[in-house]
Amino acid sequence: MSEQMHPDFSRREFLSQSAKLAAGVSLASGVMLYGVAEAKPSAEAVTSKVRWGMLIDTNKCSSGCDACVKGCNEWNGLKDHGRPQTDAQWIRKVDLRNKGTGSVHSLPMMCQHCEKPPCADVCPTGASFKRADGIVLVDKHICIGCRYCIMACPYKARSFIHEDVTDQRPHAPRGKGTVEACTMCVTRVDEGQRPACVEACNTDGHKAIIFGDLNDPNSEIAQTVKTYATTAIRADLGLNPGVRYRGI
Amino acid sequence: MKKVRFTQIEGGQGFWALLAILGAVIVAGLGAVYYMEHNGHWVTGMNNQIVWGMPHVFAIFLIVAASGALNVASIGSVFGKTMYKPLAPLSGLLAITLLAGGLAVLVLDLGRPDRLIVAMTTYNFKSIFAWNVILYTGFMVIVAAYLWTMLDRSMKKFSGKVGFVAFLWRLILTTGTGSIFGFLVSRQAFDEAIMAPMFVVMSFSFGLAAFLLVLMVTYRMTERPLGDAVLFRLKNLLGVFVGGVLYFVLAYHLMNLYATEHHGVEAFILRDGGIFTALFWVVQIGLGSLLPLALLYHPATSKSRSMIATAAALVILGGFAQVYVIVIGGQAYPMTIFPGFEATSSFADGAVNSYSPTLAEVLLGFAGIAITLAATAVALKLLRFLPESLGDEQVVAKAEDSAAVKAAA
Amino acid sequence: MNRLTKLLHTAVLVLTMSAPALAAGGGRVPMPQLPEAKGDQCVEDTNVMRRKHMDYLMAHRDNTMHDGVRTTKYSLKQCLECHAAEQNDAAAGKHEGQHFCASCHQYAGVKIDCFGCHATKPEKTTSFHPIVTPGMEKAAAVHQPAGELLNQLAGASEQTGGAE
Repeated sequence: MSEQMHPDFSRREFLSQSAKLAAGVSLASGVMLYGVAEAKPSAEAVTSKVRWGMLIDTNKCSSGCDACVKGCNEWNGLKDHGRPQTDAQWIRKVDLRNKGTGSVHSLPMMCQHCEKPPCADVCPTGASFKRADGIVLVDKHICIGCRYCIMACPYKARSFIHEDVTDQRPHAPRGKGTVEACTMCVTRVDEGQRPACVEACNTDGHKAIIFGDLNDPNSEIAQTVKTYATTAIRADLGLNPGVRYRGI
Repeated sequence: MKKVRFTQIEGGQGFWALLAILGAVIVAGLGAVYYMEHNGHWVTGMNNQIVWGMPHVFAIFLIVAASGALNVASIGSVFGKTMYKPLAPLSGLLAITLLAGGLAVLVLDLGRPDRLIVAMTTYNFKSIFAWNVILYTGFMVIVAAYLWTMLDRSMKKFSGKVGFVAFLWRLILTTGTGSIFGFLVSRQAFDEAIMAPMFVVMSFSFGLAAFLLVLMVTYRMTERPLGDAVLFRLKNLLGVFVGGVLYFVLAYHLMNLYATEHHGVEAFILRDGGIFTALFWVVQIGLGSLLPLALLYHPATSKSRSMIATAAALVILGGFAQVYVIVIGGQAYPMTIFPGFEATSSFADGAVNSYSPTLAEVLLGFAGIAITLAATAVALKLLRFLPESLGDEQVVAKAEDSAAVKAAA
Repeated sequence: MNRLTKLLHTAVLVLTMSAPALAAGGGRVPMPQLPEAKGDQCVEDTNVMRRKHMDYLMAHRDNTMHDGVRTTKYSLKQCLECHAAEQNDAAAGKHEGQHFCASCHQYAGVKIDCFGCHATKPEKTTSFHPIVTPGMEKAAAVHQPAGELLNQLAGASEQTGGAE
């Protein structure tokens, strides 16, 4: 009881120490590091002043690693039922081989949080929608499970829940008969944290994924996409995804 | 002028036996729905790669045929061909019952069918699905009103105007159904503007085939005369529509074949797709288009009733194959997320997806057909939809009379 | 009408009118046994909550979903912090008397949809504690990070200095 009255000081201290260390390391490597945007006050609605995005550097992504997948599955309570055809996958590793040149790449693929999401266009009830800050979500309260959004998604990002779900994580409600996809860990983002995949990738040491506010010119992600060449997958569709890639 | 008399069909053993069989199919379908609903869709053949399966093939066929079944009535009232006028009430009835059967299958396969009220009250108007909810329910209302103008003598004067509205509405409706696929940028098989008009012409063909078959069977079972004049007119029209569908299929594939970008999906459907290729060439083109054309027009078979009925049944079979190839073949071909790359992943990227329908899904589909037929049978018994006779002397006299009236004027 | 008939009529009328009260007290359908909730009081008065909890939840649900408002007062997740029963380990509705919401809803015959998707019990995290009154929140005045994963990662990543 008393620990709740007095938040965990040792953890706070550790966090501030490691933040200093990380700042020093990244300053040394020449990239200006600005922290992830602070948590918005919980009573405040999200606005389009912020646009959340991710930048994935496929050069740092190795074919055998799936730390991001494991991190996502654990955080969101995705279970393996041993039925890969119908088990939900919010993020997957894709191995690519260029047919012309033979070069190989590996990258994680998840909901691209498009600025103009086809899934939100086709949803008959409006359950599939884009939040003001750019995160595309499924409102499972009004999802009727028609799966039209799964047909429409150009990235095959969505899954249908084919069985009863029990023991959900409280921050990730999911149930039979509705459609789901990567939420960019919206509960974490709203509290100023990074998505679980980003966290897991960084923990593992690869640091292939940067997360941040694309609208903030001082954020790491905005500066990186301005400096280096990055691509959106299926860019010709004109959807302007919030997830961009380097190295392919 | 020989006036056409409409009467109810009598009951009798055949009628009740038919209802019993259809009822059993419906009950089986409902049992299948409970099984799929209770366990979740993992018990079906549908999965995260093939999200729309057998139920959707049946539902889309029935819905497309529904709007086409109204054609016969439209030809009568909108285009003024008096010979078709006695057929109009049955045409309107079949349009409603086909749509009801198709919608029943669609709704019962939803992940959350208990949220149908949400679907009918919360709309995202950018979604063609949302528009279709309004178009489908509106269609039922309008055709019901159309039937009212046909069956109630005091309302007959509105029949032309309401018929015109119904005609326009069903064109918009079928365009909407085709647009479900035509609007999808994600998959190569779908992202085509031609989908909308192709579905309209498909509806002409499937709807008329269904109408013809129901007409022939009903008149045989109730032992009412069905003359050659009506029958041959309808079968010639069916041939025209089958040709029309063939043209659109040809145009769709030829245009795709020209673009290098689409060579992959074309090779899949036309050559390498296994079951899809077989269904396309053998069932859709061969049995469903070319053979019926031969049967309907070749002098050796074109006058034979059994051949005409066979041709109509083959058109329906070909129609199912066509919808299967479009809906499931389109999902089976891997999405080109990374053009120019070979992709592999745990989520079937780059891989051709396979689909094996389960019994539950097929039962649900057939239950939809059974709902259509049962509703039609019951309606024919309760109300006066069927002309007592469609014999030649009845129908030809009517046509001659109206020609005489026109000549005199 | 003679007096006996009048008496009989009156008796029938009285019995019919009092049937609900008799039934409730008489044990035809037992009153729900609501599990004890933790904490000193709910976010609103009991009689207010009885009438309006569904409205609060519905409005808050849309605020959270569409606007990202994550205040805890009407949050379903927060309700469970106090109202989750100890032995509940299955979807709501299967263990009458053991799940707070299900017990009453089963009695009232009103089906609820929530726990097909929402977890029926809270997770042990640092962020949500059973007894957090508004005053305590203000006093703590510190943003508490959510989630077990972060807790684990923060602990595990000492060497790499991951958490920023």
